[in-house]
Amino acid sequence: MSAGVYVHVPFCLTRCGYCDFNAYEALEHLRGRYVAALMLEAELAAPAWSREEFASVFFGGGTPTTLEGEDLAALLRSLRALFSISSDAEVTIEANPDTVDALKLAGLLDAGYARLSMGAQSFDSAVLGALERVHNPDSVRRAMHAARDAGFANVNLDLIYGADGETVDSWERTLLETIELAPEHVSAYALTIEPSTPLGRKVQQGLVPGPDSDLQADMFELACVSLAEAGYRHYEVSNWAKPGFECVHNLGYWERRLYLGIGAGAHSYRDERRWWNVRPPQEYLSVVEAGRLPIGGEEVLDRSAAHLEEIFLRLRILEGLPTSMVDPEVSTPFIESGLLRHDDDALVPTERGMLVLNELVLALAN
Amino acid sequence: MTEPNRIRNFCIIAHIDHGKSTLADRLLELTHAVADRDMREQYLDKMDLERERGITIKAQAVRLAYRADGEDYELNLIDTPGHVDFTYEVSRSLAACEGAVLLVDASQGIEAQTLANYHLARDAGLRIVPVLNKIDLPQADAEETARELAEVVGCAREDILAVSAKTGEGVTALLEEVIRRVPPPAAPRDDPLRALIFDSSFDAYRGVVAYLRVKDGVLPSRAKVRFMATGLDLEAEECGVFAPEATPVPALEAGEVGYLITGLKDVHQVKVGDTVTLAGKHRARDPLPGYREPRPMVWSGLFPAEGGDYTELRDALDRLKLNDASLVFEPETSHALGFGFRCGFLGLLHMDIVKERLEREFDLELIATSPNVEFHVIRADATVVVHNPTEMPQPGTYDRVEEPIVLATIITPSEYLGPVLDLCQSRRGELADMKYLSPERAEVHYQLPLAEIIFDFFDQLKSRTRGYASLDYEPLGYVPADLVRVDVLLHGEPVDAFSAVVPRDRAQQYGRQMVERLRELIPRQLFDVAIQASIGARIVARETVKAKRKDVLAKCYGGDITRKRKLLEEQKKGKARMRRVGRVDVPQEAFIAALRIDQKVESKK
Repeated sequence: MSAGVYVHVPFCLTRCGYCDFNAYEALEHLRGRYVAALMLEAELAAPAWSREEFASVFFGGGTPTTLEGEDLAALLRSLRALFSISSDAEVTIEANPDTVDALKLAGLLDAGYARLSMGAQSFDSAVLGALERVHNPDSVRRAMHAARDAGFANVNLDLIYGADGETVDSWERTLLETIELAPEHVSAYALTIEPSTPLGRKVQQGLVPGPDSDLQADMFELACVSLAEAGYRHYEVSNWAKPGFECVHNLGYWERRLYLGIGAGAHSYRDERRWWNVRPPQEYLSVVEAGRLPIGGEEVLDRSAAHLEEIFLRLRILEGLPTSMVDPEVSTPFIESGLLRHDDDALVPTERGMLVLNELVLALAN
Repeated sequence: MTEPNRIRNFCIIAHIDHGKSTLADRLLELTHAVADRDMREQYLDKMDLERERGITIKAQAVRLAYRADGEDYELNLIDTPGHVDFTYEVSRSLAACEGAVLLVDASQGIEAQTLANYHLARDAGLRIVPVLNKIDLPQADAEETARELAEVVGCAREDILAVSAKTGEGVTALLEEVIRRVPPPAAPRDDPLRALIFDSSFDAYRGVVAYLRVKDGVLPSRAKVRFMATGLDLEAEECGVFAPEATPVPALEAGEVGYLITGLKDVHQVKVGDTVTLAGKHRARDPLPGYREPRPMVWSGLFPAEGGDYTELRDALDRLKLNDASLVFEPETSHALGFGFRCGFLGLLHMDIVKERLEREFDLELIATSPNVEFHVIRADATVVVHNPTEMPQPGTYDRVEEPIVLATIITPSEYLGPVLDLCQSRRGELADMKYLSPERAEVHYQLPLAEIIFDFFDQLKSRTRGYASLDYEPLGYVPADLVRVDVLLHGEPVDAFSAVVPRDRAQQYGRQMVERLRELIPRQLFDVAIQASIGARIVARETVKAKRKDVLAKCYGGDITRKRKLLEEQKKGKARMRRVGRVDVPQEAFIAALRIDQKVESKK
């Protein structure tokens, strides 16, 4: 079974109010040490993964493109030297529209980063404001054109819907603009309020209304229709792709393939064991620089946890769950009510089913 | 042994907060019944609940020694509960006395409960000693209250004593007046033994302790005694008096008040109102008059909030029952609430006390269904007694339904008379009579269905009179009534816990109210949930909880899988705590909130 490697870059120009990822602003001075630590950690981890074949590499963050192009190229070279990464492996890098230009993009492509994933979020500046994003819609268009000019043939745009003030009309314009730019892949996420974020605190204090789930449901349905019409296949709850452009790396998570995470706070998974690195970059650096793996914690999945993960991850994607895993008495009512459907030997959620997936998961996992 | 003419048996009748416990404390001090270091406030109220709420739940009897005019007297103060729920218990306590101190707060005036208990005392032939309390308070209107009291009791103004239980002023004089005015007990000591049980308690080591007043004859320790109502023959293991702690004596003689321990473990065999006599050939021919089986007036289903606590609830009820002979219960199964008990109570206060004791003393979390009265369903061939709305047969299968009615006494400031009459009228009341106690205060008698009283009548009365009105009632029997059963259905499935028997002309309103309340409380499900109220097959109200459309974790990638799984596990636990009605998941809190009728129960002495 092929594996994936994830590299975490925890630096951002600014923190967005809704984001609860392990990302920090004003830590740029650590970049040099961090790149070195990533290489060191990869070296420390490599022996245990020597027998695995890697089908994907994913640089996420934070904002990986805050690192210098040369450093990114060197990192990828070092990974290829340490691990058995197949020549046609999918190599993705996340980018912020404001941190890329034609030159940098050409360099990345040249270094082997063939898939570019950009956080567009919205084409409505009011919505971008509500999300506390620093870029404006124009920079997304500019970055997209630059990527094409540089030769990128596999680009994803991330969208977020349901921010305070966003209407169905505004969301429709965002979808149309996105389709206009013709990325190969679109990720569209319903805004989720995380309590530990600045936005989460504002919602708790009643300063900003939380998302209206019915409105988000309308927006989801609109995305399903618009993107399908434009030729995108809805292959995961929040992901659409032109045929053949589904994200290999992310599919690995939902198909429960193994992955190795490198960098501050990165998670790894193998043999029903999940472990994670220490989160604060400084702590990460000091442990790795001392020559140790920076493992911060782990869990071993018991049968019921593994079963629940199997169900809730597999139901996110079109491959679905093997029919044999579910008692027909449990699944039949959902099939009759149009939330699940049979696809050969698999149970697959319909688009309506995807919207209430938690309910399906809890019913089927019993 | 004290000569009967040196004995005085008396009680104190007072409204809540009119100072009964404080006066009792002064009497204990004055007669040196309690060592100074053991004295505490509200000495006779032993239960935490009594002390917190300032009410008396269990009767107590305490013997006081007092020397007056060169003679030693034995005074037995019987501290009785005063609340309408315990009217029968009060009547038995009164039957153990020859006199009653009628204590009225000079700043408040006479209240309905005091009046009702005064009537009970007078009817029992007790000598009344009217007393104004709190004369030290600046706002006391002693003159006006004294006039009102004289009018009610039919005595001269000069016969009314004035005290401050707080400062002790006038309390010695009161004690001497009790000795002077209250007659000594008639005490035929040569007659066969007859002793009246006026309360009992349960002691974990000794078993049941019966509180009694010897009316005729002598009760020696170690004698074989018979409980006449239950027909039990037992040995009197110990007789004694409360001085104020239990103190054994060789015998209790006619005219005396004390206790009897027989080793019996079941409080239900020692019934309030029963007569104790000697076993064998010296037994009395007839019991003392006035015995009655305890009769629950109010019923409610009690269910553990956590289904698994059923056994704990059963054990707790068994334990409470040891000390509370009037509590009855039987297992009940509810589709919505699971296994529990249908419990019968003497009234709302009793219900409240039992619930609170279960929760406090046994650490249980309970759901109680709305209280209801006992209905009689009259059929051609039989009468069916209904304690639970879900047992009410469908219309057309019986001749008629009868419900209990009461005669309510309300005392209110005259300025609120209009709103009080409106309230009674709107609760199916019939005016019996009305009079002015003074130009400022009126006494109103209404015939009212008990069901109306146990709904929110008391709250309404208080809010319409700014808290000044007081209420008492006595049962008047059963009368036919136009009542229907309203059921509440979730997605077509009746929720038994929400069924109610209500007057036909208010059925729709009740249905609408429940349906609207539930619409707010029931979480959205995967399908539209119809909430309906029905009378028989007819739907009288309907609301819909729209299907939930979105419940999905937007993102789920490598680092987040553990956290997202834990969120799902939490959601799963939440679901497991819900109750399933048909296909609908209903959280526990929804039941509790929908059943809460937010009524407070007046606690009175």
